Amino acid sequence: MIKKALAVLLLAQLCTILFSFLSVYQEPTSLNAVSSHYIHNEPKELGAANAVTAVVVTYRGLDTLGEVTILFAASVVVGLLMFLHKNESAPRRDGSELLKTGASLLFPLILLFGAYVFINGHLSPGGGFQGGAIIASALMLTILANPNRHVGHGFFWAIESISGFVFVLLGIAGLVLAGGFLDSRVLPPGTFGHVASAGLIPVIYIFVGLKVGAELSSVVLSLHGKSEGGVQHHD
Amino acid sequence: MVEPVYLIVVALGAAFSLGLLRKAGFVMHHLVLLLSLATMTAISAQWTVGLFTGSVSPAAIPTAGFSPPISINLQMGKTEGFLTLLVNLSVFLSSLFMIKTVKRRSVYVPMLMLVFASGLNGIIMTRDLFNLFVFIEIMSIALAGLIVLNGDIQQLGAGFKYILAGALTSGLMLIGIIFTYHTTGSLNIDTIANALTPELKAVGYAGLFLIFIGVLIELKPFPVNGFGLDVYESAHPAVGAVVSAGAATATLYAFAKIAIMSGDLFLELSMVVGAVTFVGMNVVALQQKIANRLLGYSSLSQVGLLVLVWSLVKWQNIANGDLIVLGLLVTHAFAKATLFWLSGIIQKEKIEDWGIIKQRIYLLFPFAIALLALIGLPPFPSFFAKWELIMALAANQSHLAIALILGGSLVEAVYLMRWFGHAFKNTAAEDETLSVSFCQLLPVFAGGLLLIGLGYPASLLSATASPIPWMLTAFVLFTFAMEFLPAKIKNIIVMAAIAWYGYPLLTTIGGYRVIFAGIFVIGALVTMIPGFSHKGNRLGFYPSLTMMFAGLIGIIEAKETMSFFFYWEMMTVGSYFLILRGKNSKPHALSYFLFSLGGAYLILAAFGYSFGQTTSVSLDTLSQVASTPYAALVMLFLSIGFMTKTASVGLHIWLPGAHAEAESDVSPMVSGILLKAGIFGLLMTFIALGDQKIGFVDIAYVLSWVGAISALVGNYLAAMQEDAKRLLAYSSVGQMGYALFGLSLMSHLGWLGALSLSVIHFTYKVILFLAVGGIVYRLKTKNMYEMGGLIRKMPITFFAVLVSIIALSGIPPLAGFGGRWVAYNAVIEKGWMLQGAIIGFSGIIAFLYLFRLIHTIFLGQLKDAHRKVKEAPLPFLLPQMLLIGLVMFLSSRPHTFLAPIGEIVKEFKPDGALTWTGPLAQSHLGYWDGVMVMWVFMGLFAANFALLFIMNRRAQPVKQFNIVYAAERPARPETTHFAYNFFAPYRRALGFLEYPLATHFFDGITDFLHAAAGFIRRLYTGNGQTYLFQIVAFVVVVFLLANGGF
Amino acid sequence: MTSTIAMTTGILLVLIGLFAILTQKDLIRIIVGFSIFDIGVHVIMISIGYISDATAPIIENLSQLGQSYVDPVPQALVLTAIVIGLGISAFMLTFAVFMFKKRGSLDINSFRDLKW
Repeated sequence: MIKKALAVLLLAQLCTILFSFLSVYQEPTSLNAVSSHYIHNEPKELGAANAVTAVVVTYRGLDTLGEVTILFAASVVVGLLMFLHKNESAPRRDGSELLKTGASLLFPLILLFGAYVFINGHLSPGGGFQGGAIIASALMLTILANPNRHVGHGFFWAIESISGFVFVLLGIAGLVLAGGFLDSRVLPPGTFGHVASAGLIPVIYIFVGLKVGAELSSVVLSLHGKSEGGVQHHD
Repeated sequence: MVEPVYLIVVALGAAFSLGLLRKAGFVMHHLVLLLSLATMTAISAQWTVGLFTGSVSPAAIPTAGFSPPISINLQMGKTEGFLTLLVNLSVFLSSLFMIKTVKRRSVYVPMLMLVFASGLNGIIMTRDLFNLFVFIEIMSIALAGLIVLNGDIQQLGAGFKYILAGALTSGLMLIGIIFTYHTTGSLNIDTIANALTPELKAVGYAGLFLIFIGVLIELKPFPVNGFGLDVYESAHPAVGAVVSAGAATATLYAFAKIAIMSGDLFLELSMVVGAVTFVGMNVVALQQKIANRLLGYSSLSQVGLLVLVWSLVKWQNIANGDLIVLGLLVTHAFAKATLFWLSGIIQKEKIEDWGIIKQRIYLLFPFAIALLALIGLPPFPSFFAKWELIMALAANQSHLAIALILGGSLVEAVYLMRWFGHAFKNTAAEDETLSVSFCQLLPVFAGGLLLIGLGYPASLLSATASPIPWMLTAFVLFTFAMEFLPAKIKNIIVMAAIAWYGYPLLTTIGGYRVIFAGIFVIGALVTMIPGFSHKGNRLGFYPSLTMMFAGLIGIIEAKETMSFFFYWEMMTVGSYFLILRGKNSKPHALSYFLFSLGGAYLILAAFGYSFGQTTSVSLDTLSQVASTPYAALVMLFLSIGFMTKTASVGLHIWLPGAHAEAESDVSPMVSGILLKAGIFGLLMTFIALGDQKIGFVDIAYVLSWVGAISALVGNYLAAMQEDAKRLLAYSSVGQMGYALFGLSLMSHLGWLGALSLSVIHFTYKVILFLAVGGIVYRLKTKNMYEMGGLIRKMPITFFAVLVSIIALSGIPPLAGFGGRWVAYNAVIEKGWMLQGAIIGFSGIIAFLYLFRLIHTIFLGQLKDAHRKVKEAPLPFLLPQMLLIGLVMFLSSRPHTFLAPIGEIVKEFKPDGALTWTGPLAQSHLGYWDGVMVMWVFMGLFAANFALLFIMNRRAQPVKQFNIVYAAERPARPETTHFAYNFFAPYRRALGFLEYPLATHFFDGITDFLHAAAGFIRRLYTGNGQTYLFQIVAFVVVVFLLANGGF
Repeated sequence: MTSTIAMTTGILLVLIGLFAILTQKDLIRIIVGFSIFDIGVHVIMISIGYISDATAPIIENLSQLGQSYVDPVPQALVLTAIVIGLGISAFMLTFAVFMFKKRGSLDINSFRDLKW
């Protein structure tokens, strides 16, 4: 009780800090210099219809590399913990036939949708993360429907590694062939609004999508606890 | 030059590609890991060298081909180059260290290590606010993974708490970042810094504050750092090393960037938080017994210090401020990493169990180096950084900051050196063995060597630096290299080196310094002779000894305050290790070290104020302080500082144990020679500053009382000892009291008396300690009541003791009388009769212990057990004979040394000098002819001796017979010995002098600090939720503090 | 106005999340609290970039450049922040799973092996 009262007291104080900003907050009426550059110059510079994607993949590409790294690290840690605590969980009740069939029916469709989302990331809302998450949800659906099914982990690891490595290589390509690390202008901007446009942006987003999909899948698989793991561990 | 972006690219590329090499096996995984880290280290080394030599200029690296603020940019300047080098090297070495441990963890650990390294490099290089946040998250997540290497519940709990705390803070930071983006329209740190007008600072305050507090909490300030402590305690030591050296370094730089970006908005806050953390963590650490958690406390306190110092130097605009911080930072990083690696080798949870380190005795070297570097002793970079800092702070009159930094550092020394004492003195269980691999040794020694190696460049970068006589230091380092040689050969080499270096010094130095140079050089040579009695290679003895004597010679040679202080500290360190070698000396060596360090800090502060007032670092211009308002303060600090070395009453409690428990040939060094360093310092101070008053009180007058009481108490306590070496030790307290009293008279005769006493005290105290050392060597006991009747068995020793106690007692005809005669003249002249009377009375008390020394040890009945005792070994006797020769020479021709000393003193105190006509000395009170007195006494002695010889011709020596107790055997037979509690009647009269006032006082302080530590550390309940509470409360409290909400 | 409402909502979510973090004993509930907190942070972020009557920063053809768009930067940042938050949540849940396996309890009070 005292604890709750104390928490309320502290949060009330914290609230004043946050509201001290809100009280002087004025909604901007126009874009600031940086964002107006993104809106007005980006189409000429990079040629991506979705300005957010241009920011995410190119202007702030290093952030994106960082964030796939965070997901990567999370999946590595989950893998490490699984590796350290190998234990067979009891068999679980299988999903019903309806569920299984429905899941396998939906599986390719979800994959296709995920791929669509990340391939079109530079043109419409969406992108690598969203697409990757959709792909992982396809796997999750399968696992939920077939809790006793063994799914190979190795495939996801390979996808994850290759796409991560390619991402880095594409970054270096920008450094060598264009203006700097992760510069997407290695390829020509193409026709504005087409799938094959905006230089490397869609290429990078494909690999980001694959990587995120693989990472999230591998976390899901690890937590599922039924994968066979890379190297067996005996001690 | 390789593009700096590769620092991140290499790490991430390798980490991702390791996924494909999953099945390639352990060797391949580690090859990729180590090669990538080596590449990164090389890249940052290339930049660092280029930037510091000026062959390349700092680079701003835009990414994506657009310039900031449109895209994220990285920066590679001197600081970035240096810091990336530091973190990459430490991660590399730690990875090397872990190789064996992580063998069974597949590819995960190399992956996490690489991700962690990329995070560190990113944090250091990025100039973008949000990107900084991303890299901090990368580092945290990788770190949380590295914590759970064993996957046990402790690690899981620690990791969970860590990530929870991190999640909370990063959320707050994100809010701050977006608010700041709104206010300034940019995420680029430099653009924001330029855009922040005072109005915008007011509007965007909440945002800036949340970013600032977020980074600050990432640094784990006191008291919101329980989660960090758990990490240090539970993680693999190699991970602890990278947290301390890598994560802390990178986060500190992130903090610095944010603080600079916010203008001066938060400097006061970070100063307060840093100071509270530094002092708080050090105090709490006092109660800590678990090695890794102790290292955690120490790390967090050091980070607090760095935050404090960084904010201070920015706040006060101290030139060279960045270098000061870097000096402290690099020392902390490598010292802490070395300690963590050592902890990984030792694998002992409790610091008491670290005695096992002696199974690999060479590990003590890096251990000692790391600890000393953390405390900031020479020749490590932290020493120069601390020196610079104190000079600058004193010049700006930041008294509180000086007191906090030096005080906190003293507390830190308590637990660090206590730990060393445990490792050095405790014995491990028989059946335990310490195994260590090459991959583990390499990082440990690399860390130690880096700390030493970085000292020299650090000294060059310092602004108030003066050329340090490096030759002495070089020789000390050389002695480490020749540790494998037998002790006898090392003894010869060191003696030859001292003679070779000392002889020209004696002939050229001149002034009052020559007296002390003589004592130090001749003393070193004489007292090293007993070293020949040692077999084996006496590991560690010669480096320590060389350090002490190099320090002593160094302070004589020093022309500037910095080199004086450098060698003063080196002397302290060397003598500490020497004393620690004694059998039961663990607590005494520690208290010696702490008193010396405390004294040294006062000296440092005094030098700082002197520099601040006169802007001169020359020792010769110390006297210029006399005309400034700081004169009295400088004099007081210097006097107290040097008095810790002379063990004046109140500051004496370390001396008896330290001197008595030291090895037989070390006691004469520390008692006969080392104490004179304090006298030297006092004389130097008095010459420069003369009489100073605090209010109406004359400092010299107060010191004269301290001297008199030291004489009384020292002599009385000496008389009450049962242990012969303790007796001699207390006697030194008394004798140094005389010397202090003489100096405080501030007159020609007073100084003459004090200086001549210093010379004579050196001779007889060395003889006495060697004589007793020889006896202890043969009898294996120090208790006098267990001795007796040794005159026949050890006639030479007896003779030596006889001569020296006559010299000590100050009765004619031996040299002590001259000093005493001068002193009485001085007292009468000055008119301080009351103190003079106490001094005179103490002289009488001195007879009590001197009598006891000769009576109880040599006269009376020989103990049964000692029938086969032989005379002391030659290496002990030889120096005694040499010194007896010296005493006899000085006694029979006292004018040969009193007159030259008088000439030297005349330079500073011309009035009231003695006039010498041949051996006849005249003051305006009377005259004294030493040679004549000698002849008269010789005549009288010869006559009496002849008489005795003739009358006692028929005397028969009585054989000893066993004493049989009639009825019962007493429980403690030794108490029935007549020599036990010999002076009981006097004790009834003067027993109040034994009340351990000073001991109680210092014990009280210690107990208080430990109790406080025990109380405060209950904050760290272990409950993750409590820690979260503390974090939110910290944010709120700091905000209110900043805005005057209280 | 819209952005003020959104921001207020975000702040309230942050506070609700924090309240849960500070008062709930169960690890899973604490993690849920964190998710609420995180969502609150994201709402605050996204509300900062809002400009009244502007459209999403997706340019359908180059002739529309003259029209008013909301700020794309907070949207890009929030995308990154969401993924990071997701990573942290997954991370914490994994820890919670293994902590439960080891100790058989989800009470945060039962993980006090290290203290003082």
